[in-house]
Amino acid sequence: MGTGHELQTVAPTGPLGLFAPPSIHIECEAFVGSLGTLFDCLRRQKVDLLDVPLFPICEAYTLYLVDHAGQDLEAAATAVAALAYLVERKAWLLIPAPPEEEPEYEDPPELIEPTAHEYAPAIELLSRRMQEREQRFFRAGEGELGYEIPFDLGEVTADDLARAFERLILRAQPEPPPSLGKPRRSLTEQMELVLRVVDRTWRPLDGLIESPFTRLEAVWWFLALLELIRLGQVAVRLDEGEVVFRRRMPEDDLPVRELEADA
Amino acid sequence: MSEAEIEQGLERLGAALLNGSALQLVRIAGGFQLCTQSAYADTVSRFLKPERPKLSRSLMEVLAIVAYRQPITLAEVDAVRGVQSDYSVRQLQERRLIRDVGRKKTPGRPVLYGTTQQFLHQFNLNDLSQLPKLAVDQPTLPLMDEVEAD
Repeated sequence: MGTGHELQTVAPTGPLGLFAPPSIHIECEAFVGSLGTLFDCLRRQKVDLLDVPLFPICEAYTLYLVDHAGQDLEAAATAVAALAYLVERKAWLLIPAPPEEEPEYEDPPELIEPTAHEYAPAIELLSRRMQEREQRFFRAGEGELGYEIPFDLGEVTADDLARAFERLILRAQPEPPPSLGKPRRSLTEQMELVLRVVDRTWRPLDGLIESPFTRLEAVWWFLALLELIRLGQVAVRLDEGEVVFRRRMPEDDLPVRELEADA
Repeated sequence: MSEAEIEQGLERLGAALLNGSALQLVRIAGGFQLCTQSAYADTVSRFLKPERPKLSRSLMEVLAIVAYRQPITLAEVDAVRGVQSDYSVRQLQERRLIRDVGRKKTPGRPVLYGTTQQFLHQFNLNDLSQLPKLAVDQPTLPLMDEVEAD
């Protein structure tokens, strides 16, 4: 393995970046060529960096610096950056990698094949059984949903259920008679009723209403009389301190005329 | 009266009915029941005009799967058929041919379905052991601790 270097034309750009490293010549067992070509081969994976010793490259770079000291600092900086990159890459490659564990692949779930066709004989047999059954008629009605066999109640018998129902009926209260409720009456209807009762005789209020009566009936009678008095169809007066009523007669209008005359 | 005496009496009744009677005593759905002789089916049918709802092929298929593999979940029925069976299961439930028999002790606690006594009666079976053996490689029934009763 020999080392050497020769200065060639520096390309403005190279395979690793904007600036290509100077054409430092490298010569070793694994590679012979410029530093830029080495980078290009590494990138294309045509050269294994582990096979390339870095010492000759560093030595060539040192000689390059000695020969071209201060002439092209930018090229020198690019070269040292490239060299540092190579050292780092190789350092990483030399670190023993942990053994890769083989990924465990689970067996894909087996797709279930439909097996319904295997039940075809059962379907045929059940159909035959059903046809046989349809040739028989049981006591239970053959309604729309067929028949219904008795529910299994365990130890409970129909007599037990009947006794429980009988006990419940004995404890039940008689149904209260339905509330008839009086039909709702309008005041006009009540006034017609009052007019049928009131005649030419002066009678007190409790003499007009037929007993027995409720408070509500008394209210209705009183309101109807007031309305009839207002309309001039019933006359009212005091008879020995008691209010009495009767159907208004022509003579009952006299006081009103006198008042009008006075006015 | 002992159970054996009752059975003897029923056998005598059944034998007596065979001689010239229009009725017969049959062992069905785990019990005994009187019914008409099959020979008179047409005559009785003309008189009663029964309306028997038919079961479609898909309903029969689901019913057969439930009958043979009960207790079984809806998902298992789907897997056997390769199609969804929720409608068929619901229809069979409404016809009281299958019912919930518990829940499976698996994630999600799916409902397990089984056949009913009505199924035995409608298909002229005394019990499930009268179902014919199939060439199907039938899975073993789930252990009881895998079934959570309702």
